[in-house]
Amino acid sequence: MDLDVLKEKWAEQDRKLDASIRLNRQLLVAAKMNRLLWPLRRFSILTGIGVFTALIVLVILGRFIHTHWAEPRFALPAVSLHIWVIAYIAASIRQMAMALQIDYDKPIVLIQKQIESLRALRLRVIRWALLTGQLVWWIPFLVVALEGLWDVDAYKVLGVRFLSINVAMSLALIPAAIWISRKFADRAERSTAGQRLMRELAGYNLAAASGFLATLSEFEQESRN
Amino acid sequence: MRTPGLQEAFQDRVEQHKKILYKVCGAYCRDRDSREDLAQEIMVQLWRSFEKFDGRCQFSTWMYRIALNVAISFYRSEGARKRHVFSDEQRLLEAVVEPERQPEEVHLLYEFIALLDPLNRALMLLYLDGNTYQEIAGIVGISETNVATKISRLKSKMKEELGTKKT
Repeated sequence: MDLDVLKEKWAEQDRKLDASIRLNRQLLVAAKMNRLLWPLRRFSILTGIGVFTALIVLVILGRFIHTHWAEPRFALPAVSLHIWVIAYIAASIRQMAMALQIDYDKPIVLIQKQIESLRALRLRVIRWALLTGQLVWWIPFLVVALEGLWDVDAYKVLGVRFLSINVAMSLALIPAAIWISRKFADRAERSTAGQRLMRELAGYNLAAASGFLATLSEFEQESRN
Repeated sequence: MRTPGLQEAFQDRVEQHKKILYKVCGAYCRDRDSREDLAQEIMVQLWRSFEKFDGRCQFSTWMYRIALNVAISFYRSEGARKRHVFSDEQRLLEAVVEPERQPEEVHLLYEFIALLDPLNRALMLLYLDGNTYQEIAGIVGISETNVATKISRLKSKMKEELGTKKT
């Protein structure tokens, strides 16, 4: 079974293909093509909206921290939220910058590396956001929101014990979430979204992205064998 | 800025090279709806980049680069993808001769291509289409020597995998 012999047959078939393939030119109309571009633009638009919203939150939190700087029990939760939002903005801007550099007209190995690096970054951000988000957006958010919006001291109303237990549980939830997701990542068959979430928490998709980046590097290298 | 003339030029160019679209979709997708999904994604990227095409390389080279990049990304994200079902009017690309009526040798080649990882599929397609090692190197982004080595390995692999099948 010689490839060069089969290549001749391929070329013969190729000469007949023009007559045997039909292209629907009605779908190649600019209006329809531009409509199909929308999902590609959606990522940039949604990321932009997310960054804009996060900047507003950052300003609000900044004012709260400034007002309560002398009260660490309020300032510290607000600072933890602040840091999380800054990290989110930085990650979003980095993703947008990477996405803008992707030009499908460039050589395959180069572009696939860029695409996979962007995918790996996005997966890291999602995993980080899921695992740490519940830590800062539960008790710290509750303390800041109650004080900031209604002048209610959560430490007095809910008690230090309640708040401490919940923070400890949020911390314990991180390794538990990773363990559960690894156990059930391949079992959440009914829901593609559920399965994807499990796999992202477990780090499987990130491992796959890293694996493909390694494959691309190997593919690029010349073998001496 | 996209002018009506640009749209017509795009349609004509793609029509001239529709075989590339057909072969790339056939190599990276098994079922009809996935092939159509991929064809439309490739078309969108071609349209998006068409304004920037300056003729410094052949249109087929440009089209192959975009089509293969989209196909590899599509292939790698297929598990997470929402499935579409297309009616006949919504289909961009249709073969009058269905794959099962292709010559046996071409069918075997597609079978062999399906065994390869997405990067080697690209190499194989480009080689079968008569591209020189230099052209393949330019599209894939590796050296000519590397292309030659990989093609040689693919030939050996093919003999191993399909050696017992008779044409």
